[in-house]
Amino acid sequence: MTRMKSKWLVLFIVFGLILTACGGGSDDAAEEVVAEEPAEELDSPATTAAAAAEPEAPATKVCLVLDIGGLGDQGFNDSAYLGYNMGIDEFGVEGTFLEPDEGGENRGELLNLCAEDGNDLIIGNGFLFDVAMTESATNFPDTNFAITDSVIDPANARGMIFAAEQGSFLVGVAAALTTTTNKIGFIGGVDIPLIHAFEVGFVAGVQAVNPDIEIDIKYASVPPDFSGFNDPVKGKEIALAQYEAGADVIYHAAGGTGIGMFEAAAEVSASTGSKVWGIGVDQDQYLTIGGAIPEVQEFILTSMVKKVEVAVYNAIADTVNGTFTGGPVAEDVESGGIDISYTGGYIDGIKDEIEAYRAKIVSGEIEVPSSR
Amino acid sequence: MNKAITVSNITKSYPGVLANSNVSLEVSEGSIHAIVGENGAGKSTLMKILYGMVKPDDGSISIFEKITQLSSPKDAIDSGLGMVHQHFMLADNLSVLESVILGIDNATLKNINLRRYKSEIMEVINKYNLNINLDKTIDELGVGEKQRVEILKVLFRGAKILILDEPTAVLVPQEVEELFNNLRDLKDNGVTIIFISHKLDEVLEIADEISVMRGGVMVNTVDSENISKKELAEMMIGKSLPKPPERQSSVGDLKILSVENLSASNDDGKDIFNDITFDLQSSEILGIAGVEGNGQRELVEAIIGIQEYNSGSIRLKDEIIDDLGIRERLGLGISFIPEDRQAQALIMDMTLTNNIILGRQSLKKYKTKLTTVNLSNATTASESVIGNFDVKTPNANTIATALSGGNQQKYVVGRELEDNPTLLIASQPTRGIDIGAQALIWEKLRSTRDDGLGVILISADLEELIGLSDRIVVIYQGNFVAELKPDEITPEILGSYMTGLRK
Amino acid sequence: MKLRLRLVSLSAPLIALMLAVSLTSLILLGIGKDPIETFRMMFEYGSTGKSIVSVLNRTTPLYISAVAVAVGFKMGLFNIGVEGQYLLGALLAAAIGTSFAISRPIHIFFIMLIAVVASSLWAAIAGYLKVYKGIHEVISTIMLNYIGTGLIAYLLSNIFFDKDEKNAIPQTVELPESGRLPALNNLFGIEDLPNLHGFLPITILLGLIYYLLIWKTTLGYDLRVTGANPIAARFSGVDPKRLTIIAMIISGGFAGLVGMGPLLGYFHQYTIDFPPGLGFAGIGVALLGRNHPVGMFLGAILFGFLERSAQILDLRGVPKEIETMMSAFILLIVVVFYEIIRRYILTQQIKDASKKIGEN
Repeated sequence: MTRMKSKWLVLFIVFGLILTACGGGSDDAAEEVVAEEPAEELDSPATTAAAAAEPEAPATKVCLVLDIGGLGDQGFNDSAYLGYNMGIDEFGVEGTFLEPDEGGENRGELLNLCAEDGNDLIIGNGFLFDVAMTESATNFPDTNFAITDSVIDPANARGMIFAAEQGSFLVGVAAALTTTTNKIGFIGGVDIPLIHAFEVGFVAGVQAVNPDIEIDIKYASVPPDFSGFNDPVKGKEIALAQYEAGADVIYHAAGGTGIGMFEAAAEVSASTGSKVWGIGVDQDQYLTIGGAIPEVQEFILTSMVKKVEVAVYNAIADTVNGTFTGGPVAEDVESGGIDISYTGGYIDGIKDEIEAYRAKIVSGEIEVPSSR
Repeated sequence: MNKAITVSNITKSYPGVLANSNVSLEVSEGSIHAIVGENGAGKSTLMKILYGMVKPDDGSISIFEKITQLSSPKDAIDSGLGMVHQHFMLADNLSVLESVILGIDNATLKNINLRRYKSEIMEVINKYNLNINLDKTIDELGVGEKQRVEILKVLFRGAKILILDEPTAVLVPQEVEELFNNLRDLKDNGVTIIFISHKLDEVLEIADEISVMRGGVMVNTVDSENISKKELAEMMIGKSLPKPPERQSSVGDLKILSVENLSASNDDGKDIFNDITFDLQSSEILGIAGVEGNGQRELVEAIIGIQEYNSGSIRLKDEIIDDLGIRERLGLGISFIPEDRQAQALIMDMTLTNNIILGRQSLKKYKTKLTTVNLSNATTASESVIGNFDVKTPNANTIATALSGGNQQKYVVGRELEDNPTLLIASQPTRGIDIGAQALIWEKLRSTRDDGLGVILISADLEELIGLSDRIVVIYQGNFVAELKPDEITPEILGSYMTGLRK
Repeated sequence: MKLRLRLVSLSAPLIALMLAVSLTSLILLGIGKDPIETFRMMFEYGSTGKSIVSVLNRTTPLYISAVAVAVGFKMGLFNIGVEGQYLLGALLAAAIGTSFAISRPIHIFFIMLIAVVASSLWAAIAGYLKVYKGIHEVISTIMLNYIGTGLIAYLLSNIFFDKDEKNAIPQTVELPESGRLPALNNLFGIEDLPNLHGFLPITILLGLIYYLLIWKTTLGYDLRVTGANPIAARFSGVDPKRLTIIAMIISGGFAGLVGMGPLLGYFHQYTIDFPPGLGFAGIGVALLGRNHPVGMFLGAILFGFLERSAQILDLRGVPKEIETMMSAFILLIVVVFYEIIRRYILTQQIKDASKKIGEN
């Protein structure tokens, strides 16, 4: 009897652990299911479009390898996926998107696999691809590679980098002009230099308006734990504490974790009767998160838009047109790849001041720091 | 007279064994009918078939002269059968009343009208004159009382036929007498009783009719008035009965073991055994008599080092062993036959050869230079035990579980005697095994004793204890209360010491 | 055991594999994919030279992880903490291994030694808690996994972080050349294929050591006896406290080597991308391989193969999560069939024995 029981106990534990290890919980599973659907739909129009347009010439093939977190992060993976779909719709390219397992040699293998499979452009979404893509791009010099948030050596690899600190500066200005308590919060996803750029840009923007404003800076996780990019519960927890402490505007640079922050904003506003705000990141989250969860929409002040989709789209367009180049391609507030969103109209009243700061950044009068 | 049970031509075979071969049996209503036979004779299988636990391959069963299909114990209970198992199925923390009701109703105990049940149960108790206090909890009861609760349980469920599986195995003689009085009362009230046993004296005393089984076959059914113990035994084993060996020893001069003022208590501070002092000489068998639970098991476990003791000292030959671990003590030549061979002495799914190393891991013989297990020496030793102790097995690489109980026990005893131990502790060395194996083990214990071995023997079989021991001490509630000469006592006298009636 | 019964005992994993394939096929049909085509794709992709190298590279850590788990299983201990143990061992080995440079074999030996010592000490905590505080090892090892993750995060970000301009994310300094295990490609004349990790021969050696330890030493005998019947083991003089701690230390020692294949053969440093999850996967492999050194090796290869061959699926429009489900099916089914077959074999052995006794 005990023998049997313990066997089942083990099995139970094993399956529990395997599920946790592979998915990061049921949230992920649900997201992935949602994500599969557009993928199915997308395959057929892409191929038919390609076939209809140029039946004799083989279509350009594009492979997008997403990062941990995957589709449904309402952030930078979704942005990249959007740009990828825009490219497919526009040019009728044949597309594949993959999600790597957590850690290991898997990233490199997927990049190589895409290359072997005859793709013309391979996009690795995130700086974690840098080592693997350097190797892969060296091995496949005739294939175009593009990486987000990093620059690597091979000439056939494009580094799509973003001056996130500039956009963060602008939302910092918006936050400083909106706060009435003179307390503002910042939630970073994972405590890494990439996110530090958001933090310091934001702080600089706030302080440019009013150096006396208090800024409470929190991170959801510390590497190698990257769960902070996809942990809405943690996000809510941190945001509730910050609102409780008097903050009335919080800016998050934390991927899916930010959803929790908006929920907290709605909750706190309802319970205290005075409205508090959240600031989105990467996408125009008034539209994305606000569209998906209408009850939080009115608390989304603005978003720091990092148009990964534009960079991805451009990489696809350049590949189709034969104008692809390697090396760094920087997006900033001047090029429009980094922007502040006015959707919702909550900051229309301070638009002039914000745009004045943008002009100073473009002119070089203000140099926004990007590291601590 | 009406027949309570008629079994016709029942056959049941298991892989490789014909457990019941064309067995027929008639039990008269209102009689006590004993079924006797060695272990493996097919008694248990027959009872399991009667109680609906096993389905026969062939044959039919009538209960109260009506053909009945028994496909589960529930069917059997509905037909008026009740079984009292050898091992009680009672929960310690329930009251007697709750234990009797438990499982009768679908309701939980909370919703049951205890008072109504209590009066109904009291009627049963009074009718059969059972002497049970319903308000005690099970853990307050003695073995005999627990058994009566089990009987009450089946009677209260409406049983008209009681099957008792080895009911006296756990009782001391006084309790046996009490049980027999109860059974006679039951019989007078029209209850039919099937009494399974291998103790022939008891069977002759209580039963009206006796059926003898051997090797899966029903040998004969006889009237208990017209048969002697000797005839019955010969029917049972097919040859003449082995007797506990005669003692003709001379106890040696060498002091093997000396236990001084040994005391142990449990976590609650309750004494397990108290101030125990005794010596054991070479060529001596010291019997420890006691009703189960009086500290004898813990005492011998203290000698091999499993049970911790608070004070006192144990000396093996000239060496004080108090600070040694179990393995070191075993390494000094202590051998141990624990009471439950399958749970304590064997790894059932390991081969016999692998089992020979068990308890001998520290022996040089079973090691090689790289501290690896020496399987070739193990095989040699294993084969020698199989040969010397007549262990019936295809070979030394058979797994232990494939052997019958008696052969497993012979192997265990053989293993413990294999490496010339200084001291042997034998706890229930022949419990639940057939007479042939029993005789062989007695013979081996006696001959190694004669060769100088000191033996501490614990046995619930008082005849065995008296027959084998050179000296008997009685342990009662953790104290040695008497030291007796085996040739001056009978099981009845010993039993009265064990139950504290005599001091 | 007879040859016939041995063959029967092998049937459980095969049945499990077949049933898992059937169930997976049903699911594929349910989502409108062709199962035959899917499995053909997987097999075709999984059997290319590159894939075979990749499968072997995956097998190495999986197998050692399974061995680490199996050492505990053999005495009835569930070391769920291999996960935390190997990650911590790998981090410390990577970090401390950069601080000295000696000739290659000695350097590699010391790196492995650091990992083994660190992991076994971490595992010993669970042993200590079980023996002296009565805390079940499943609970304590799971908790130690969490604590380990936090500790690794702290150490990596604050103590061992090689803060360099170009290093955006926490990572240790790269191991010097002498601390890297060369690939085996030259040995097999497969220079055109990706690197075959040099840890493979060590892995096979570890399997052999595991076999000798469990089946040929007194310690292994004590472990097996305790696993099969702890009461009888105690009566035979096994000190369960001592043995529990020893078993946890050995299990943790093997766990320490889990990360060495990836560390010495591929990453050469501990980064946030260092593969997690191997400790949990090893539990499955140990179950599938029934703690047998060869069985676990085959199990590790099977899981490695499934993982690798599933990579092709997303590219061909089949969700690769199919592979995760299939692995889970295999495990679930195999446990059931192992029990059924164990009982069958037991009855057969009893039957054979009683028949032979009858003949004598």
